[in-house]
Amino acid sequence: MATHALSPAAIPAYRGGLLEWLTTTDHKKIGIMYVINSFLFFLIGGVFALLVRTELAVPGIQIFTNEHVYNEAFSIHATVMIFLFIIPMLAGLGNFSVPLMIGAPDMAFPRVNALSFWMLPLGGILLLSGFLTPGGAAAAGWTSYPPLSEKLAQSSPGPGQDLWIAALILIGTSSILGGINFLVTIFKMRAPGMTLFRMPIMVWTMLVTSVLVVMATPVITSALVMLYIDRNLGGSFFLPDQGGMAVLYQNVFWFYSHPAVYVMVLPAMGVISEVLPVFSRKPLFGYRAFIFATAGIGALGFSVWAHHMFTTGAVFLPFFSLMTFLIAVPTGVKMFNWVFTLFRGQLTFSTPLIFAIGFLTMFLIGGINGAFSASVPIDFALQDTYWVVAHLHYVLFGGSVFGMFAGIYYWFPKMTGRLLDEGLGKVHFVLMFVGFNLTFFPMHMLGIAGMPRRIADYADPSWADWNLLATVGGFMIAASMLPFLWNVFISLRNGKVAGDDPWEGNTLEWATSSPPPPYNFDRLPEIRSERPVFDARHGLVAHGGHGGPIEEEAPKALEEGHVDNQGPGGAS
Amino acid sequence: MSTSPRKRPASEAIVAGGVVLLLIVIVALVFWSGAGNSLYPPKPATDRAHEISNLYNIVFAIAAAIFVAVEGLIIWSVLRYRRRPTDVDLPPQTHGNNLVEVLWTTIPTVIVLFLFVISWDSLNKVDAVSSDLTKTVQINAIAGQFQWQFEYLDANGKHLATQTRPLTGDGSGGMAVPVGRPIHVTLTSHDVIHAWYVPRFLFKRDVVPGQQNHFEFTVDADEAGQTFHGQCAELCGTFHNAMHFDVVAMTGADFDAWLAKLVEQANATQPPPPSGAPILKVEAKNIAFDVKTLEVAANAPFVIDFKNDDPSSITHDVQIRQSDGTTVIQEQAAIPGGSEQNYQYNALPAGTYKFICSIHPVANMTGTLTVK
Repeated sequence: MATHALSPAAIPAYRGGLLEWLTTTDHKKIGIMYVINSFLFFLIGGVFALLVRTELAVPGIQIFTNEHVYNEAFSIHATVMIFLFIIPMLAGLGNFSVPLMIGAPDMAFPRVNALSFWMLPLGGILLLSGFLTPGGAAAAGWTSYPPLSEKLAQSSPGPGQDLWIAALILIGTSSILGGINFLVTIFKMRAPGMTLFRMPIMVWTMLVTSVLVVMATPVITSALVMLYIDRNLGGSFFLPDQGGMAVLYQNVFWFYSHPAVYVMVLPAMGVISEVLPVFSRKPLFGYRAFIFATAGIGALGFSVWAHHMFTTGAVFLPFFSLMTFLIAVPTGVKMFNWVFTLFRGQLTFSTPLIFAIGFLTMFLIGGINGAFSASVPIDFALQDTYWVVAHLHYVLFGGSVFGMFAGIYYWFPKMTGRLLDEGLGKVHFVLMFVGFNLTFFPMHMLGIAGMPRRIADYADPSWADWNLLATVGGFMIAASMLPFLWNVFISLRNGKVAGDDPWEGNTLEWATSSPPPPYNFDRLPEIRSERPVFDARHGLVAHGGHGGPIEEEAPKALEEGHVDNQGPGGAS
Repeated sequence: MSTSPRKRPASEAIVAGGVVLLLIVIVALVFWSGAGNSLYPPKPATDRAHEISNLYNIVFAIAAAIFVAVEGLIIWSVLRYRRRPTDVDLPPQTHGNNLVEVLWTTIPTVIVLFLFVISWDSLNKVDAVSSDLTKTVQINAIAGQFQWQFEYLDANGKHLATQTRPLTGDGSGGMAVPVGRPIHVTLTSHDVIHAWYVPRFLFKRDVVPGQQNHFEFTVDADEAGQTFHGQCAELCGTFHNAMHFDVVAMTGADFDAWLAKLVEQANATQPPPPSGAPILKVEAKNIAFDVKTLEVAANAPFVIDFKNDDPSSITHDVQIRQSDGTTVIQEQAAIPGGSEQNYQYNALPAGTYKFICSIHPVANMTGTLTVK
């Protein structure tokens, strides 16, 4: 038998319209809501970024009424981008793709999945409501180091900081629930034949990401709770004049927040590890090496946190320097595996591949400029300057954001049944790629010249040109969102119909309809490698009785199976 | 498996190779022409800075080589292996190669271990602190929102005098240092975390409340007469961006004279206020003045008895400015928390002025001075 028939006892059907979206426990719809919600927060965080860049375009204080509001703007920019955009956006892509990729009907705990999602907009509203309170939103940076984040007259006396704490605890809880859900789904819900070493790399990266989330998030929650107790219940965990220790917070905070960098990058690596093989018509080079490298990054990721604290004078420097250098090795292994996947392939330059190549070229810079900070003496020069701002944006924007746009262009046809327009996609890429480099490359020069981060104004006139260039680039990135949004709008209305498998994909999501029906599959192809759909397409499945292209079978089965085959994208 | 060995026109390889070569040439030209200098640190001014700068050059050379090699490989692959309409059959389905995996695990490991070892070696020199402090110039740098104070100690660690204003130009603190002598700095904060950062020293160190950090450096002899810009590098609150200081390098003789003068000023008993001059009282607490309006007679000198009730790391002063709030007319040396001073002001013509703390120019530390 070439396919496994899956016949649920009752044929499921979606409810209509808005009610369905508000009450759904379908992982695909929840995944899409994650993506949309995260994208809205990307736009909000982007507006704050533009405000910051506009202020810095020329020396002097121009658009902000005072420096405190500027501090609020960059603090909320970073908090929104990290906790409400990058982490949930990738969790959303994982939410949509993981059950499909392992041949499961849904996540292990669908209601918990819905709960995880709905905590996010609530957390976002809590965070942003700080602007309505006296004293404004949190202004102590996304790191919120005490004593600056404590309730002291010149620090953070207002409720904005408390709302920041509450929002992060809520979002953290959402992450933990999501992480557990992914782990149980991946370990218990795989289709027959889907062994661990046949899982798509995207699933592997979500597995390692979930381990990081489940192990690390409770630790930052403890830091947040301690800070809350200090602020509101008379505690003194981080107040030195009452016996507390300021640097303790940094240790606890970074014990989460460094692994969180991998939470923000590994799933994007997973996305491009799916995209590169499909569009070069080759398997991923070194599949197992890639998995070991992913696991290696996850393990080493817990031993490098204090490289954010080299200048505190309270860190055992050689150990954290060594571990930070070593974590470059598995990352390098991945880079070479990706490049050798392209090597001698047959590359089709569809938008997902272009964004994936954008990831490769930019993430490479983010890795290389990170090595400078692993060298402790050099970090003494670079720490807390714009060099670090450049580095983190090359990793999180050049890496994660390019990776997630690769994923959005790649799975949009699976989510909605329609292809995004290729021409607009390329315009989007070019604007974003050029704008990104204009914005963030000059920050290397600013940092090495001595411009500290988080300053509302700068004294040195020789920094003005680079700053102006960065601001121009920032607006170019903003402009790149217009062709993307227009593309989504026209493609949903009029886009080319995708069919089940528009890219000649390798993994199981391409073996069902676009969008997939409730519970995803009526039958599955044989799973005998990490590329079951590729095997079926090319008649490579062992004992392949049918051997024919599954595209002919699946839609027919779906038509018979479902009265209401309205997919996630159809409700709009 | 239906795969076919690829036969590709040589022209493609030439084009792809040419583009990669062009990339290498461009990178080389950028550095050869000097345009790449902005990716290098500013001219190092201390022994530690030379150490860090040399290390930077090594790391940069390795980084640039890796960047060109890998980026070149990506560009080569992207340009060379486009799918052509004739590519119907699959390319060779290469699943991997254990030898190359071992190679690209081992070689990077060797490179990063090398970088770690030279960094560690360099760190030991940068972080070295004298065991005998009597041979160093001992300075306590005290950071407070949003002001630097530099205390000078004698060989036995006894307090000599405090410099609370920048030595040149704008800023909120300044330190003078002799060239050629080791400077031992101790960092203290009583409020939030700050960071002592001088770009041309290629060095910063956090100023953490509840913890004392130490570091040393020796300024190059040929830097005598130079002023180095420094500033707080750890977000410390509303006016973080204004927490500048300057470091003025002097010859040993100049420094000794400067310090002697500072000590003399500190020990001088303040002349009594001219008899008959009115004395106004102003107190500062929790970064706020206790009075918002003052009134004095025109064309007569007056005195403000100024008391700073904030913690010792927070300094305040009382400047007289024009009613625009920015043009400074008369200024005074800031005093640390817990101290009191009689500020003497010269006669002013009738009019309305602002009195303001120059370190915390916020609404709570601004008032109106009416002279009539």
